[in-house]
Amino acid sequence: MDSTKASGETAINMPESKSTKAKTVVYATTKATPLPQGGGWKRGVAIFDFILRICALVAALAATTTMGTTDQTLPFFTQFFQFQASYDDLPTFTFFVVANAIASGYLVLSLPFSIVGIVRPQAAGIKLLLLILDTVLVAFTTAAAASAAAIVYLAHNGNSNTNWLAICQQFNDFCQRVSGAVVASFIAAVIFIFLVVLSAVALRRH
Amino acid sequence: MGGLEIGSKISGSAPKTGVNRGVAVLDFILRIVAIIATLASAIAMGTTNESLPFFTQFIRFRAKYNDLPTFTFFVVANSIVSAYLVLSLALSIFHILKSGAQKSRVVLIFFDTAMLALLSAGASAAAAIVYLAHKGNTRTNWFAICQQFNSFCERISGSLIGSFGGMIVFILLILTSALTLSRR
Repeated sequence: MDSTKASGETAINMPESKSTKAKTVVYATTKATPLPQGGGWKRGVAIFDFILRICALVAALAATTTMGTTDQTLPFFTQFFQFQASYDDLPTFTFFVVANAIASGYLVLSLPFSIVGIVRPQAAGIKLLLLILDTVLVAFTTAAAASAAAIVYLAHNGNSNTNWLAICQQFNDFCQRVSGAVVASFIAAVIFIFLVVLSAVALRRH
Repeated sequence: MGGLEIGSKISGSAPKTGVNRGVAVLDFILRIVAIIATLASAIAMGTTNESLPFFTQFIRFRAKYNDLPTFTFFVVANSIVSAYLVLSLALSIFHILKSGAQKSRVVLIFFDTAMLALLSAGASAAAAIVYLAHKGNTRTNWFAICQQFNSFCERISGSLIGSFGGMIVFILLILTSALTLSRR
């Protein structure tokens, strides 16, 4: 239909709305189509997510293997001290190895889901699932790392109030390996936090 | 006049906004539960003080939470998380009133995840020490102090429960925020 041009206002001739919903009327069609820039940005975020997952996998695997292969035997022995130190002497370190192994396994299994997120940036269900599991893993990995850190701190410094002796003075190599494993696990936990925030950013709908 | 008509709101949006608002109210309630849990943990650990009526050469006769630096870290971490939760109540109320906010929800998820990490670090470090206090360790010659300090041990073990409960609530909080983000 023609509009009056005498008043100087411009009018846009819109075609009849072809919307299939009976109740809704669309009057600005450009908003209905997704912007191509939005898909590209989400794809970049998904690729970054994939790279972060690989880094976290490396860190968690390093933590597991470093702690799991500790075995130091001192060349001497006394009446009071054990002359061999391994990770399964302390149940906390056993939990540490198991937890980091579970985190590594989860990361390996989540890599294909991450690839699906790259290929199809609009898949929100997969991103939500990964976000939930990543959150649980944040808590789990931080728990393992912090409990091992508490024991390592005790091994380095001892505690005079409870008469707990600092075993690091005897077992230097064991202590160094264990401290390194704890640091790697904390790095993995921080990467997990970044993964959660990245998934949250990617979940937003514009 | 042709096909240009005033658009009306899509009729499907009203129940969606209602569900989002309900989820925001649930978020608020969960935050209050987490405040109570973490505050109770901090107070229960912070007020430990047990004195034994006797003393020997080798064992101390008094046990407090700051005899072990890990427990000090536990009290500090729980206090920080409680304070953060109280401050985030304001943002939660804002989300109830304005269900469409997205950027602030992402910011909230970031801080919630960081606080979850801090809380689980404090809780698990203290749990490791509590386990050691209960069982001791024969390989490292660390003596189980719970055999002397019963009430102290019960107190520190019980204060872990509130902290771990707070961790679960935090996971639920992040979950609900993410759900709301993905449903818009």
